[in-house]
Amino acid sequence: MKSRKVGMIVSILVVGGALAYLALGNFGDNLVYFFTPSEVTAFAPDYYQKKVRVGGMVVEGTVKAHPDRLGLTFELTDGEATIPVTFDGIPPDLFKEGQGAVVEGYWTDAHQFKSNLIMAKHSEDYMPIELKRAGVELPRKDFMKSLVQ
Amino acid sequence: MIIEIGHFSVVTALVLSALGIASSVLALKTRNVDWVRVGRMALTSIFILLFLGMASLVYSFLVRDFSVHYVAATSNSQLPLFYTIAAVWGGHEGSLLLWVFILSAFSTVAVWLHWRTQPAIMPYLIGVECLVIMGFLLLILFLSSPFDRLIPAPPDGKDLNPLLQDPAMVMHPPMLYMGYVGFSIPFSFAMAALLSGRLGEEWIKVTQRWTVFAWLCLTTGILLGGYWAYYELGWGGYWGWDPVENASFMPWLVGTAFLHSVMVQEKRKMFQVWNLFLIIVTFSLSLIGTFLVRSGVLTSVHTFATDPERGVYILLFVATIIGIAFGSLLMRANKLKSQIEMDSMVSRESVFLFNNLFFLVAAATVFLGTLYPLMIETWKGAKVTVGPPYYNAVFMPVALGLLFLMGVGPYIPWRKASPASLKKHFRVPLIVGLASTLLLLAFGVHGVFALFGAFVVGFAGAAIVIDFGKISRLYARRESVNPLKGFLSAFRSNQRRYAGLVTHVGVLVLVVGIIASTVYQTEKVVSLRVGDEFILDEYRVKLERIHEVRGKNWNAQEGVFEVYEGDALLTRLRPQKRVYDASQTPTTESAIYAKNMGHIFLTMPDVSPEGVAVARGVINPLILWVWGGGGIMGLGVLLNIFRPRK
Repeated sequence: MKSRKVGMIVSILVVGGALAYLALGNFGDNLVYFFTPSEVTAFAPDYYQKKVRVGGMVVEGTVKAHPDRLGLTFELTDGEATIPVTFDGIPPDLFKEGQGAVVEGYWTDAHQFKSNLIMAKHSEDYMPIELKRAGVELPRKDFMKSLVQ
Repeated sequence: MIIEIGHFSVVTALVLSALGIASSVLALKTRNVDWVRVGRMALTSIFILLFLGMASLVYSFLVRDFSVHYVAATSNSQLPLFYTIAAVWGGHEGSLLLWVFILSAFSTVAVWLHWRTQPAIMPYLIGVECLVIMGFLLLILFLSSPFDRLIPAPPDGKDLNPLLQDPAMVMHPPMLYMGYVGFSIPFSFAMAALLSGRLGEEWIKVTQRWTVFAWLCLTTGILLGGYWAYYELGWGGYWGWDPVENASFMPWLVGTAFLHSVMVQEKRKMFQVWNLFLIIVTFSLSLIGTFLVRSGVLTSVHTFATDPERGVYILLFVATIIGIAFGSLLMRANKLKSQIEMDSMVSRESVFLFNNLFFLVAAATVFLGTLYPLMIETWKGAKVTVGPPYYNAVFMPVALGLLFLMGVGPYIPWRKASPASLKKHFRVPLIVGLASTLLLLAFGVHGVFALFGAFVVGFAGAAIVIDFGKISRLYARRESVNPLKGFLSAFRSNQRRYAGLVTHVGVLVLVVGIIASTVYQTEKVVSLRVGDEFILDEYRVKLERIHEVRGKNWNAQEGVFEVYEGDALLTRLRPQKRVYDASQTPTTESAIYAKNMGHIFLTMPDVSPEGVAVARGVINPLILWVWGGGGIMGLGVLLNIFRPRK
């Protein structure tokens, strides 16, 4: 009677512990942080080559298709700093000059942002909510702050 | 005028929801059944009034009354009729109204359906449902009204987001909401059990069909959403661990744990507190899912503009409901100590226990991944996302574990399994499982997930097939009929069990589809001119021409691609790059050809002014098994709901 109960509890703990390890052990490595172009230009070298997301406005007149393969280059700004982005792949439908976009990739030693994923949104309803400095009202951050204050 | 009638109806419904709560409290205080009747009248009237509210909104959309702000914001004079109706729930105002309308419909049906058999439950049922209804009506009327006028009326509406102009999106939100809301019925019965102290198995037995019905709707809603993402978003996948997908997946996971776990209580009177806990968590997650999607706190393809007031309100409302529910559970928990203990580690009970453990870890993982970014942002100010690799890494082993349990569970006896019965039931399935793994190895497959997947699918599939074979022969002999008839009468003799196994078969088919279409997907992106061709797996794809196409409310450039297999023309695929008139929004429309249960999937995301097109081809083997498996799962649930009453 006793030993069975102990066996039950031990096996639940073992399986549960393994599952919890699975769920928590991987967690830190899979976090992708979000930055603005000005934060990216101020990156310390240990941030280079780390997978990050950057949100900003696509600067008018800077989008250029790559001459001999898929992909493009453009500049992304938050009104204070501007970073050059090289992108491999197909941009989403809503990617456009003068619109907001979020790019995922990494910042190189050569101060280029290399990306293989663009998320674009459209009109005031679909603007990246993070783009506070680009003039979008009610950023998500302030909303969540209002909950805890 | 019409919209004001709707508005007035909904205001009246709000007043009546307060009456419903009051009458329930009075019914419990005075023990006078007349107060319960008042509550029933109130609830029924709320349903009729909300129907009028919905109808007035639908009418305003149909006559394109752009002086209604919501109509102007989500539709347009050129929007086709079908999508005009879908536009009613195309924004948060209308979808919240739809949510509460479905809630009022379900609870009214539940009250009339269980009125005779469950009189003691009625005041609680009416009270809890009216409380939830009141919460939503306050939100709709004060913070998110679809009835507001826009004066002067604009000449035309802004249009429905083109991505939502799609048949699957017409049905996706209602199905999802029916799932969320359906769980409110077992939730209310559970609350009644907690508050009244009638803590037996009654509430579970009465609500069993409601639970599986809600589960069916939620599953269908999720699959429709995946199907939509698959062909409308044009990336060739159906699940991206988007926060909004996650929001609907969490109640699904815990709801699935719940509908398994209740069986233990029915048969063995165990897990009493646990089941109450699970249904409370399931319905709470349904509310949290609504909160996450409708408050705009998540960055996602689905979210609309942020509105802090609405977010704070929904959060407080959800917190209130969860607080009341868990408070009552804590008050009763000491009375609910199960007297029965588990007899053995190797028993049906313990399989269900581990089933629950796996589902809850899965749900906790999704919860963590979805809400951690919000927490980090709130307390640290840093913005962060959790990528799909995280979920995939956790879900693969969890899913394999669950599939294995699914294979053994139905064949392990209650209380204690003897080694002899284990050997009898699992020898052949083990061989089949190992054989499927070896077969895949022989085909040169080395992916660990695919190999383990093949084992558990072979194992679980064989167990079910053997079971169906055995009972068919048994009944055929007993009733001296042919095995097919034997199968049918065996099925009817214990339809709940066999319907469940049909759903399990659907899960297996779905899993095979998921493994095949993820592990063996081929993708190719090329840029090409008219006349050029490219190789896609075993096919040759040639761009024959690009021409302009005019739809009802859009213009498109359509690429005509010839797909050759060897030298034979297999099909012509016509993906489009559309631009919608009203919003000038571009979309990429995929073209699909089904072959051998798989898809050749083609999009043309870009055409340059110089005539260079970008084409993206994807081969998705066995993708039809994903939707087919979903269909079989649904069939199993329907067979469960419409089983003969004993």
